[in-house]
Amino acid sequence: MNRKILLIEDKPGLSETLKSLLELHRYDVITAVNGDEGARLARSHRPDLIISDIYMPVLNGYDMLELFKKDEQLKHIPVIMLSAKTEIDEINLAMKKGAAGYVTKPFLFKNLHAVIRKALKSVPSH
Amino acid sequence: MVISTDEQTVLKANKPALAILGNGKASNITGKPLQSSYRGSSLQKDDMPVPLPASFLLPVYPEGRRQLIDFRVSKIKIHRKAYWLAIGRTVEKQQTLKLQLQHLEKEKMLHEMKVSFMSMASHEFRTPLTAIASSIDLLETRLQLDNQFSEFYRHNIHKISDEIFSLNTMLDEILTLSKIVSNNFSPRQTAVDVHKVISSLECQYFSNRKDGRSLVIKVAGKPRNVFVDKDHLAKIFNNLIGNAFKYSEKKNPAILLSYHKHKLVVKVRDHGIGIPQKDLPHLFTSFYRGSNVDSIEGTGLGLAIVKTFVESNNGTISVESEERKGTTFTLAFRYTEED
Repeated sequence: MNRKILLIEDKPGLSETLKSLLELHRYDVITAVNGDEGARLARSHRPDLIISDIYMPVLNGYDMLELFKKDEQLKHIPVIMLSAKTEIDEINLAMKKGAAGYVTKPFLFKNLHAVIRKALKSVPSH
Repeated sequence: MVISTDEQTVLKANKPALAILGNGKASNITGKPLQSSYRGSSLQKDDMPVPLPASFLLPVYPEGRRQLIDFRVSKIKIHRKAYWLAIGRTVEKQQTLKLQLQHLEKEKMLHEMKVSFMSMASHEFRTPLTAIASSIDLLETRLQLDNQFSEFYRHNIHKISDEIFSLNTMLDEILTLSKIVSNNFSPRQTAVDVHKVISSLECQYFSNRKDGRSLVIKVAGKPRNVFVDKDHLAKIFNNLIGNAFKYSEKKNPAILLSYHKHKLVVKVRDHGIGIPQKDLPHLFTSFYRGSNVDSIEGTGLGLAIVKTFVESNNGTISVESEERKGTTFTLAFRYTEED
């Protein structure tokens, strides 16, 4: 059974490509365009993993992470942050808020995939 | 001006003082008691307090316009006799000062706008770069799955991918340099665990490499924190480690952290193409690149940035290199402020 990934990204150009890439690597993918929609989809679809941008309109990645960590149903889902910010403090902040990984943009899919595999190890398959 | 202490007469005055107080003639002021104003005022000499205060303002009226001179007084001794030494500076009109302040504020604002524009622009550039990089990855994956990933595709796809990442590095360097030239990079120094910073860089940028190589990290001595700006440190090592991979092929680059008694010494070593002797003195100059880099891309800004950041964090950097053998950069940082 394929693992289910929720991809939260507000740029359609990247979201579409990344969705195809993940599907070619045999993941089921659902997409959202901001943290708010992401949180709703996470509750209804229960993905195994979430990949999320940080700076997005409506609800940003950090606020979304905080929301998830307070939610009994969502707090165990690993969240990988995807951001163009490269400052060490930014990365540390994301990890402190409970992110399972942090990948800087632009990225090689190979690197993102390694982080995905590592994060999924902690999630029991259905 | 030199003024006698008893009568408070002006004994000697320099040229600017003569010009402004005595209409250019020494006889107009020397030998005469210091007045409380010059030319155009009817105040009496005894308006000047005795002894002279530590500072006073003297109004003068050259060309009929009132101007103030701010005098600072100190006691001096010449041949064991005491005198007053009064040094004056014209007080800028408040209006002029206000205008200067406005200019400065405007300049500062322009600088800040420039930096925030550069920061915004380089961030926005990353959006299409990320989309292009992912599309390339998608093409490669599709071709592989369809068994059509020939040498021709492999070569060209990797070329596009490499160019995207070197464009990204250039953006980083230009953004950093724009901060440096507008003096917007004062270090925010805190106690930093260098090993931790290097490990997180390694994990973020130098793991899962296409060529299968990795960074070797060795530590000697008892680890301690150094007092530096964490982001500057990350940029320094990101650049040096990046170079170590970029200018070498088969062997793994290594980084050695030696915790000495008073300082931390870090060596970044590669077994690559090395740097010709004649290039070494110019290595840290902006836009200068080694004569043997051939087709390896770069802006020539990286090491200039590295050196600026090392020095602004009270560190030192030096380089040893031999062509076709490899290069070693040696950096030293002191421990926390209290040491």
